Amino acid sequence: MSKPPLDGIRVADFCWAWAGPYGALQLAHLGAEVIRIESTTRMCPSRQIPPWAENERGINRAGYFNQYNQGKRSMTLDLKKPEGIALAKQLVTKSDIAIENFAAGVMDKMGLGYEVLRGLKPDIIMISLSGYGASGPEKSYVSYGPPQVALSGMSSLTGYYGGPPMQAGFSYGDPNGGVHGTFAVMCALLHRAKTGEGQYIDLSQREACAMLLPEALMEYTMNGTQPPRMGNRDPYMAPHGVFCCQGKDRWVSIAVRNDEEWQRMCTVMGHTELAVDPRFTVLAVRKENEDTLEEIITAWTQERSADEVTRSLQQVGIAAYPSLDGKDMLANPQVAVRGFFVELEHPEVGKRPHLGIPWKMSRTPCEISRPAPGLGQDTDYVLSDILGLSREDIASLRAKEVLV
Amino acid sequence: MPGLALAGFRIVECGDMVAASYAAKLMADMGAEVIKIEDPNGGDTARQRGPFPGKVPHPEKSGLFLYLNTNKRGITLNLEDRRGQEIFQRLLTQTDLLIHNIHPTRMPALGLDYERLAPLNPGLVMTSITPFGLSGPQKDYQATDLTLWNAGGLCYLNGAGVGGEHLPPLKAFGQQAGFQAGVHAAVASLGALFARFSNSLGQHIDFSIQECLMSISEFAGIMPAYANQVVVRFTGNKAIRPLDIMECKDGWIYLCCVEEHQWQGFVDIMGNPEWAAEPLFATRLDRAENWDALQLFLEPWVKEQSVEELYHKAQARRIPFAPVSTMGDLLNSEHLKARGFFAEITHPVAGTFSFPTAPHQCSATPWTLRRPAPCLGQHNAEVYGGLGLAARQIEQLRQEGVV
Repeated sequence: MSKPPLDGIRVADFCWAWAGPYGALQLAHLGAEVIRIESTTRMCPSRQIPPWAENERGINRAGYFNQYNQGKRSMTLDLKKPEGIALAKQLVTKSDIAIENFAAGVMDKMGLGYEVLRGLKPDIIMISLSGYGASGPEKSYVSYGPPQVALSGMSSLTGYYGGPPMQAGFSYGDPNGGVHGTFAVMCALLHRAKTGEGQYIDLSQREACAMLLPEALMEYTMNGTQPPRMGNRDPYMAPHGVFCCQGKDRWVSIAVRNDEEWQRMCTVMGHTELAVDPRFTVLAVRKENEDTLEEIITAWTQERSADEVTRSLQQVGIAAYPSLDGKDMLANPQVAVRGFFVELEHPEVGKRPHLGIPWKMSRTPCEISRPAPGLGQDTDYVLSDILGLSREDIASLRAKEVLV
Repeated sequence: MPGLALAGFRIVECGDMVAASYAAKLMADMGAEVIKIEDPNGGDTARQRGPFPGKVPHPEKSGLFLYLNTNKRGITLNLEDRRGQEIFQRLLTQTDLLIHNIHPTRMPALGLDYERLAPLNPGLVMTSITPFGLSGPQKDYQATDLTLWNAGGLCYLNGAGVGGEHLPPLKAFGQQAGFQAGVHAAVASLGALFARFSNSLGQHIDFSIQECLMSISEFAGIMPAYANQVVVRFTGNKAIRPLDIMECKDGWIYLCCVEEHQWQGFVDIMGNPEWAAEPLFATRLDRAENWDALQLFLEPWVKEQSVEELYHKAQARRIPFAPVSTMGDLLNSEHLKARGFFAEITHPVAGTFSFPTAPHQCSATPWTLRRPAPCLGQHNAEVYGGLGLAARQIEQLRQEGVV
């Protein structure tokens, strides 16, 4: 069996919360050895929020942490002590990548800024993820994931027709910033493999989110206007929406891509008279009569289950799918057959399904090698196997409370 | 002299709309040599979708297409034609990565068969970005960005909460499924290119957009397995508040008070009104529990404020408020200007416009512009000439609709 693509690559992971950990998770998916540097003196927020396994609170029982830190290792190190900083530096000299998402300037203040790390390991690749980026007049502004969606411009475009601006997801800017960061790191790794040169990457999560809005940004630069909020509608397709189905809070999404598909949909609905109804024959008139169109479709969908609507439309090649909730995801036959959910034995929460890796590689398979780490479970491994410290050295560091 | 991180990597992209085009754009912007293949009959659908200058449709002026295809060369090639497939295979002998988002039901007809392509070039990495992956009972299901956003469990999380139960789950703006698939698939593809350093062999990547979206589903994917619960519409169901968008006199602002000192700072900015001392609003959990009441106090005050003033006042106290930026706010932001996030790009047909560049500033290998998006078939002569086709042959293939 071939090894995963990043086998032998080591990551010193100073991240916490979500954006950074999601970025580092992609590196773990690709087979890198990702070592989270944690501390009880500055506990990762994602170890401290529900859901807990069986609602029993515990730093190793948090679903959020256990989901987004699969495949990683954890060591505890008090970075407020000089010995802790010294060990962090030693780990960087044995690493290929350093990743962090502290507030601007924190790594520098701790003496772990890029210039220092480069002095220790000339070809280190370091990435800092932050809301605003490491330069510019607002670089020291505080930024959390949820407001980033608003700050990036996405909220001003998202919302029901005629309604207020709305959020997209809860903290969409975090995973999106994280994965764009991983992309930059992968570019830097390939560059280093060819030239031997490392580098520093400054990633702005706000900008990563703005990258996703070209239709609106370009409309502004071209015409000085921005698209109105239009709910689930689309300027080039109708019907295009999420429709109410049988059951409590059950919905189905339907997108009809052209006039010919609309004809087929009329047949599926058993309303052949609609196929010749002049209010709906071509896209332009369906857009004009979209409220009526949606009422007609809702009258059909609400008498049926989302699965039934999906099956009957897919049978004639029309894009439709139920709006899945979390339990639907776990029960989804498509991802189940593909083995997307991963259930590894975790010492505190046992076996339970976690979201896996969204790609399959034919020659260098990627798989989640271990469940998310318990806090500090790999401290001894890192100190002895990677840094070469003796058992006595480790005991002495532990006595001085450096390893907390 | 700054370098190009992906210099020397040759990529062939068969992209329609966002997913494969965005993946290849990210790589082209970092120096890869990308050749985009379009159908001679109209090309990429993104060319039809706009926005367009003056709102007049034109296949060379779509803002979406121009953005998604910077730094690429473009050729037209009919992959349904046997001769088209022969040229395609010849091109692939000189290619490191083939990336596409052709639907699985159309892949065989277009010659996108890894087992047949691999012997031509054992180093070839092929990335297939498909709605549901290349296996499983629903692999042939049709999909659009909207239906995938639902199939990935993300749409269900968004929209009106309490009191808005009649409103449907709400999609995020634009083509988010395509963008997420694109950036994640770019990461996987670069992983496979990196793996070639150990033994120079390529491979096939089967990338599922549905799974990609599930993997960013925040609490939704975790709640059932850990707490036997389902997450419904974040907007109206929050454990902590304020974490909300509210209207000012000249726009909208995102109010975010997660830590106690942030709330206290906000109360101080409001001039310490009496109501703020009510036990109803004592902790962040109380403030979420009694949001209906809190909202009534906050709204009239916030409505009197200007977005910019309240934003900077809050940030001065380390309170993470953010404006609900409009596109104009972004293009005119001093901060983004100072970071050089937007760059003017001149296209021979469309004209000169500001474009977003990259969210990452890489010290050794920065974003560069080497060419604007290609016109349909712009590089046919150059690319086909490079494959050894004579001008006469190319002309004949053109007349026969192959290129």
